[in-house]
Amino acid sequence: MGMGLIKYDIEKYSPKQLVIIPLVLLAISIVLLALNMATTGMPVTPGIDFSGGTAVTVITPDTADQIRATFSGYPLIDVSEGVSNGKFLKFSSMDDAKYQSLTSLVTEKYPDAQINQIGESFGKTLQYQAVIALIFSFIGMAIVIFLAFRTFVPAVAVILSAFADMIMTAAAMNVIGIPLSLGTVAALLMLIGYSVDSDILLTNRVLKRQGKLNDKLTGAFQTGIIMTSTTLAATAALFIVSWLGSVQILTEISAVLLIGLVFDILNTWLTNAGILKWYALKGGIK
Amino acid sequence: MNGPELKALVSDWRVATLIILILLSVVAIFPHFDSQGNMVSNLQYGLDLQQGSWLQLEFRAEVVGFTTDHPVDEFIANLSKKLDAEVLYIDPTHLEIRKYYSQAELDPIFTAAGGKLTTYQPGVSKSTSEDVKRILENKINTLGTKDAKVNTLVGMNNVARYIRVELAGVDMKQAQNLVGKQGKFEIRVMTTGNQSEHVLFGDAITRVQNPSQSPAGSDKWGVGFTLSDAGAAAFQQVAIKSGATADPEHHELVMLLDNKSVFSAPLSTDLARELQAGSTRDLFASTGSGKTGSDAATNLEIHLRAGALPVDVSIAGSGGVSAPLGERYKMMALLAGIFALITVGLVIYFRYREPSIVLPMVLINASEIIILLGIMSLIKFQLDLPTIAGLIAVVGTGIDQLVVITDEILHEGKVPSPNLYLKRLARALGIIVVAAATVVIAMLPLALMDLSTLKGFAIITILGVLVGIVVTRPAYGKIIMQMLSK
Repeated sequence: MGMGLIKYDIEKYSPKQLVIIPLVLLAISIVLLALNMATTGMPVTPGIDFSGGTAVTVITPDTADQIRATFSGYPLIDVSEGVSNGKFLKFSSMDDAKYQSLTSLVTEKYPDAQINQIGESFGKTLQYQAVIALIFSFIGMAIVIFLAFRTFVPAVAVILSAFADMIMTAAAMNVIGIPLSLGTVAALLMLIGYSVDSDILLTNRVLKRQGKLNDKLTGAFQTGIIMTSTTLAATAALFIVSWLGSVQILTEISAVLLIGLVFDILNTWLTNAGILKWYALKGGIK
Repeated sequence: MNGPELKALVSDWRVATLIILILLSVVAIFPHFDSQGNMVSNLQYGLDLQQGSWLQLEFRAEVVGFTTDHPVDEFIANLSKKLDAEVLYIDPTHLEIRKYYSQAELDPIFTAAGGKLTTYQPGVSKSTSEDVKRILENKINTLGTKDAKVNTLVGMNNVARYIRVELAGVDMKQAQNLVGKQGKFEIRVMTTGNQSEHVLFGDAITRVQNPSQSPAGSDKWGVGFTLSDAGAAAFQQVAIKSGATADPEHHELVMLLDNKSVFSAPLSTDLARELQAGSTRDLFASTGSGKTGSDAATNLEIHLRAGALPVDVSIAGSGGVSAPLGERYKMMALLAGIFALITVGLVIYFRYREPSIVLPMVLINASEIIILLGIMSLIKFQLDLPTIAGLIAVVGTGIDQLVVITDEILHEGKVPSPNLYLKRLARALGIIVVAAATVVIAMLPLALMDLSTLKGFAIITILGVLVGIVVTRPAYGKIIMQMLSK
């Protein structure tokens, strides 16, 4: 009953060798977020939900250029194309009268459209609340981890891995061009909750089971990698269907989850395992 | 597995609870075919999965903290005059100002009135927001919209800044007309040429009826409405003076909303004769026959109601989905859910290669979804796209925890003795409980805050975790043991 495809040779590597790759990636991610912060004022580029503006989804064979021509009188920022004829239009904020006339034009030209408009001040409120939610969520997770393990180094290792997941995922969002929206905030919050479960399994096995350290690590990996693979499989399914079907919010949520879960594999089995190994070799685990 | 074993399994309380919950959930969801042969259920869909619109309105008002040496009544009267706005006393330290001012604008005015502004919070008091909610609900309900929701978002300090209106089956334009702004309604009568004369404003209309046919059953549509005594007197007076009673055809009545004509028609000969003799309070505006007539009547009713709110509101956000797009999203979500279950099943099969493990896992997973949908049907919780993402994440992580249980129990590949099994199950549940607690804690801020549509997503994720911990994981532990020890 083994999964022969991936071999996890933790024995060969020292704790330093294990954590070096994720640490470098973490440093690069922080630099990327800082750069974005310097240019746009936010570590992750906010989408319409937070910056204010109007998003229109239409299913139409019209080309992006035709659409740009149709809406030339409006502050159209971007037209992106999905697969099955889905087109996603983004407008910057406009006054009420302009917005009403845009609504009329959209309903006349594309009666089956979806329209979402967020005012600038409302967007600011949402953004503020989203940041608060992320912070409280992270702190709450950290408290649960500390209460569960009650030993400093292993708890910090789990929290650091979760932190690295978030930072790397946020940096990847910037690189790929996924904006921070209500949907992607939800995905990041899910990552806070879900990324720690393989860390918890790993820490639990190493701290509470008897046996040789390397055996415990390899055993934990056998179970943990399957856990992450099943979540990856479910989110990949969601991503493929929503991408093919041009359901933008689900595409964004699942893309962020996919990215986050890949980083989670890295951070659990290199960062977290590396720190635990160091802690064990130092004599922290009897 | 033979008969007696199956019986023993089913009568185990953990497994029995699961089965009973699944059955109850199916009853709660109640999937069935309606009279048109469409598949329907008790599930409520959010506005992104069916035709509908939402509006988020922001109150153009603020709640401020204050201190003053003057008598409070005097201070409030003074402020009200200076601000040209209604100022309401909420509690000994707070006032509600029903007009939008920035804090910088208010500061000097408070000082000049002999007080001090101590705090500033855009929005209205809880009781005002409830008034607005009631007015909006009345307005919407009289239109017979099948599914409307008005939610005030009251913060922890008892100040409501936003109110959210969700209207199923209503498109964006209609929704905006309905609640977006207060209309100024006026009736005028044509005099000579293009000139017209004022008859009355919307405040003279005391009652508006639903669209009706007149005579009944005739397919000729219109809206009946009632004037105040003063309004009726003014109406009679202007109708005679302008010549509308003598020559109705050339002196049409015009109804204006925000100075735009929304309806015009001559007086009927009956009404003209009646007005010559005396004033009348009950009027009927005919809008024509057939569907055009009935649609026009519906719109006119909205206009007649004009529905003034005590506080100005501005549209902070709005949106809507058309019926075909909503239908498409629903299809995609269903597909994604089924596809997710299948891929997860394949991954599990790849790992264990043992149908007696894989099958219970996938079935337990599917049962979690059914139970969650059952709870949602029961508490009339709306299923929307973010919630569906949450449900699919439940599939992914639910399986995770089943893997933990399986691997803990099967440690070193041997089926354990009952004693060892219990010890290992307890250890597996220990891991799961910590993992579940982190998910619950991570989602808690979202569930408590009013971050737009994400509240539902957070609540469903938390519910999913709880159902897993309390019902399905223990049941799975029992089932897998039974399966393996045969």
